[in-house]
Amino acid sequence: METTREKNDSRDNREGLKGWLNPSRYGWERISYWLQRLTGVFLLVYFVGHIYETSSLVRGENAWNAMLELTQTPWGHIFLILVIGTSTFHSTNGIRLIFTHAGKGLGNPERPDYPYHAMSLNYRQKSGIWVALILSAIAMLYGSSVLFGGE
Amino acid sequence: MIGMLKEGQIMKIHYITGIAALFVVAVHIIVRLITPSFSLSLVYENVIKNYHNTPYIILLESILILVAIHGFNGLRIILLELRQNKPWEDGVAIFTIAATIALIAYGTRTIIVASGLGLG
Repeated sequence: METTREKNDSRDNREGLKGWLNPSRYGWERISYWLQRLTGVFLLVYFVGHIYETSSLVRGENAWNAMLELTQTPWGHIFLILVIGTSTFHSTNGIRLIFTHAGKGLGNPERPDYPYHAMSLNYRQKSGIWVALILSAIAMLYGSSVLFGGE
Repeated sequence: MIGMLKEGQIMKIHYITGIAALFVVAVHIIVRLITPSFSLSLVYENVIKNYHNTPYIILLESILILVAIHGFNGLRIILLELRQNKPWEDGVAIFTIAATIALIAYGTRTIIVASGLGLG
């Protein structure tokens, strides 16, 4: 007899990356889901790069200054501003998701009626996503002022 | 090791490392901005001075461990959402654990050498 695992292995109904990126299903929750993963992968790539960049310290002052020449440029600063924005969004939206996972801010279950809006996506959830986006914009503006402010 | 933990337990670790990382990274950024300023904090002598400050070394090592665990577990979750079968799940688990250990080891080596702890 076929086990559940074997059934799953032979099933060919997985959408994979196509399903993940399918824009026809976008609601606020889906945009937030998608951004949380994109920002997470971006920040992980940045973190690995940052660890490598910092490791130039052990090769002495010349290696460190050579690395700075590569990263402390206008494009390097724009990249850092993106890092600031994505990390702020990822953190704020992540905190919202922790509350959501704990059932906080979801409201009571309701019967699904036409036009079948997701009951879980109430004003608390929507405002959480907006707060994440607004805080990211503010953090990026502050980051720009520090990086391009000529300090 | 991931196989010994339930997904619910791994999610708790994911959330705890995420919140803890938020605090230590915030302290790291604040220290960089206030002592003495962002551009001066990048001068080689100032960076090396930071690496000789024990609380700061502990902070950097905490960031390294927390963000590596949180980041690679996040990647594991994304990869498991894309596809599910035993070889894939096992491969993803092995890859993410190996990558986490490798990154922590590489970063720790930088901290040890830059702080002078590896000498003598």
